[in-house]
Amino acid sequence: MTIDRGKTAGNAGGNGGGQVAAKRPDKVTLKVYRFDPDLDKEARIEVYDIPWTDGMTVLDTLFWVLERVDGTLAFRFSCREGICGACALFINGSYRLACETQVARLLDEGRTEIHVMPLPHLPVIKDLVVDMARFWANYESIAPWIVARSKAPEKERLQSPKDRKRIDEYVGCILCGSCFSACPASWTDKDYLGPNAMMKTWRWVDDTRDAAKDERLGLVAGENGAWRCHTVFNCVEACPKKVNQAAAIQGLKRKTVSAMLRGAKGLKQGRKGLEE
Amino acid sequence: MYRPVASRAVRYADLDLFPTKIRTGFYAWLLHRVTGLAIIFYLLLHIVVISTVLGGGGNFDAVMAWLKRPFFAVGEMLLVTAVIYHGLNGLRVILFDLGIGIKRQKALFWGAFVLAAAGFGFALRVFWPLIFPG
Repeated sequence: MTIDRGKTAGNAGGNGGGQVAAKRPDKVTLKVYRFDPDLDKEARIEVYDIPWTDGMTVLDTLFWVLERVDGTLAFRFSCREGICGACALFINGSYRLACETQVARLLDEGRTEIHVMPLPHLPVIKDLVVDMARFWANYESIAPWIVARSKAPEKERLQSPKDRKRIDEYVGCILCGSCFSACPASWTDKDYLGPNAMMKTWRWVDDTRDAAKDERLGLVAGENGAWRCHTVFNCVEACPKKVNQAAAIQGLKRKTVSAMLRGAKGLKQGRKGLEE
Repeated sequence: MYRPVASRAVRYADLDLFPTKIRTGFYAWLLHRVTGLAIIFYLLLHIVVISTVLGGGGNFDAVMAWLKRPFFAVGEMLLVTAVIYHGLNGLRVILFDLGIGIKRQKALFWGAFVLAAAGFGFALRVFWPLIFPG
């Protein structure tokens, strides 16, 4: 697979597009965070020189290390096309999906090296693999499925394209955990629901087919829910799918206040009220 | 067989704490916190200073005369800036709660920042003779 750069210099339309075929180094320096809890007392940085390939992504460089240098390098990946959310990493100071990040693009940003770190503020299990247990528990706690409370129709529950468009942005979330890792409120409060779980709550509150809106608002109305959001917008900056979690959380705040003024009973029923 | 070029301890620079992409909202929040703490500190100081009037007017006059130093003039100049920023950014956050301007949060921050900077410029003009007397 490794293509000699000299042979592809004229291949501007090849893998990676025209701008990538411009002047590139023969090799790139990759710095990877390594930590094995069984062997290491402290984390370390390992530096690798990787031969340049047109169209190379950061995930490709990690595979290069895995295949040729060190088979013990641990990292998550699955789809390799930006839809599974497994390979979200902190790359050169930004949250990015390793599979969608072109090395050429990183070099265009003016950096000569690639720093690959695990998602910050989450416990490291090994190397680039972090413990996402809290993230998934929070996601589960908001009941991320439809609660319809009417007789199931013959086929699907219909929704107009206009109504569906309202939640398009939030459905596009791939659950990579970048927003949760970037949120200062999540860093300091271990019980905080986090931007992702609340954005997903809004996804159902704003869904015309869902019938448990007040109960859902009740789940995020506490001090560890929407009110702990300080509108720092780190989640929005981090999101590789350009979802605006902050807008969703502000929506939850407004809807919660109006539900309280209405004296909605569902607000106090908690998770149980959702499952009835 | 390939080998890693180097293996070393994690350094400060590896953490990329100062990202290439400016996180406007984060700095807006951080500045809001810092200016908030500074204003509370000033308030306590203000109460202490004002309470010296209890010991009689002469006492208070002496304290006020003592405070006429470049150090406190600089402090008051920073106070003006902090109050303007904190107030405007507070309005920015209130607008978000009302559902206004969430998608324009960066522009709103820079608006608050520029006005605070203008306030600093104005305060500089006012306090200049106190900082550099004579």
